[in-house]
Amino acid sequence: MTEPDAQPKTDYSEDGVDLTLIRWMLSLTPAERLQVLQRQVNAILAIRRLNAGQ
Amino acid sequence: MPDSDFLAALRALHEGGVEFIVVGGLAAVLNGAPVNTFDLDIVPARDEANVAKLLHVLHTLDGIYRMQPERRLKPGASHLSSPGHHNLITNCGPLDVLGTIGHGLGYEDLLPHTIEMETGGGVRVRVLNLATIVRLKEELAGEKDLAVLPVLRRTLEEKQRGG
Repeated sequence: MTEPDAQPKTDYSEDGVDLTLIRWMLSLTPAERLQVLQRQVNAILAIRRLNAGQ
Repeated sequence: MPDSDFLAALRALHEGGVEFIVVGGLAAVLNGAPVNTFDLDIVPARDEANVAKLLHVLHTLDGIYRMQPERRLKPGASHLSSPGHHNLITNCGPLDVLGTIGHGLGYEDLLPHTIEMETGGGVRVRVLNLATIVRLKEELAGEKDLAVLPVLRRTLEEKQRGG
């Protein structure tokens, strides 16, 4: 019987870069990568506007 | 300041027949690097015909210099024909028109180091390849360049492994 992993699997490079995030981005098409960036930018700008007075 | 709409800006340039290369953070993202950016950086061809097309597109996008936006300064043909940098704000967000990047590399120098990519809705653009982005950032070695280099290097390695 296989023991369940004690910790979730992670994969970081020696300089601390999250390789799982890179592999996920590389699994997308360029058009999908652009959509990801656009959504992130929109979300960040929306949060900034909500907190504009702070 | 208007929000960034990368695809709308790329579409306007593409449909305007402008010859340009996407560089900077957006080029890194299109190449698969998980980084963030808020502006679109392009290196256009600086011949007379292309500068005229670029000026027309910038006019339709209401492009003005981000510095002192209240003065609504617009770039002219002589500006865009120069190797300098033009930090603009348009109705699709910030757009940096860069005559050259790195140590004086212009459109013709960079063209062999680009790949054409579909970015959505039939908009195909030339994008600086990741190996060249990494090389230029290593050469410049500014704080901003050094901060993002680990992610770009690891992305390049994963791509070369077939990721």
